[in-house]
Amino acid sequence: MEEQEILTTLKILIIGESGVGKSSLLLRFTDDTFDPEQAATIGVDFKVKTLTVDGNRTKLAIWDTAGQERFRTLTPSYYRGAQGVILVYDVSSKQSFNKLDAWLNELETFSTKQDMVKMLVGNKIDRSNHEVSKEEGLKFARKHHMLFIEASAKTNDGVQCAFEELVEKIIQTPGLWETSGKTIRPGQGGADVSQGQSCYCVI
Amino acid sequence: MDSNFPSEKLEEICDDECQNKTRIFCQRCPSLVLSPKQAKLVKKEFFLPNMFQKNDHTPIEGVTLNDFWLVTNMMTFDNVGFSKAVDNIMYLICADCEMGPIGWHSIDDKKAYYIAVARVKHG
Repeated sequence: MEEQEILTTLKILIIGESGVGKSSLLLRFTDDTFDPEQAATIGVDFKVKTLTVDGNRTKLAIWDTAGQERFRTLTPSYYRGAQGVILVYDVSSKQSFNKLDAWLNELETFSTKQDMVKMLVGNKIDRSNHEVSKEEGLKFARKHHMLFIEASAKTNDGVQCAFEELVEKIIQTPGLWETSGKTIRPGQGGADVSQGQSCYCVI
Repeated sequence: MDSNFPSEKLEEICDDECQNKTRIFCQRCPSLVLSPKQAKLVKKEFFLPNMFQKNDHTPIEGVTLNDFWLVTNMMTFDNVGFSKAVDNIMYLICADCEMGPIGWHSIDDKKAYYIAVARVKHG
């Protein structure tokens, strides 16, 4: 298989209250054998992932807050240079939804990229006791110009999709990213354009 | 096979410049860790905890390994995960299934990331 050149390298953050499933989103980013026993007792700090979106091969550095949000000690360096952010709440926890404003404020304060792409993810839709409706999530996302998706890290619904949509939007935003190699324009990355993938995100 | 690599096998996976000839994968899932010619084979003694250990079992069991693929920039990896630091060491894991540790990185040396030859699949 021929190695395609990397279009760009992006920094993506995953933020939200403790317990909303940020780390499992990071784990379930790609489909695989999910083994709860394997969950590292040390905890994952960040991941480097290669993702091809619309034929463009991009490299992502994905940062999880790794539980630091519990102590409100996320440092400005955590936010610095990030082109995309995934803001997560738990659909079975109104409290986690009510904290979204505070997270957006923090993002405003520390982010260094003006037109950073934001995606709201309502996680844990596999649960039965929903406290936040899809409409509420959608309304919040629209108000704050965010992409929106509901997902389940447990069943892997929507997880891959969330990352792909986010990266696609970043690539479509001029000036937000830099090419790491030669001039490749979005959507012209090669023959590997993935078609027929059913992703539905709403702006 | 959590032992050290036989030297005749090392010749099969590294080229004249001691770079990896083949792609490097996770042993458990199809995740691609490194593309060809991205890492350099080095001899270095380092103790890595075992990949399989019963939970709550102390002390940590492991093995001292000698053969590692050295990468100088973390963005060189196709896919890899970093654990939180323990005594200044971040353990490298598969980014997809989180199998590991497959290698290590010291936060005191920003230009060295080590993947254990014995803990990945070559091909």
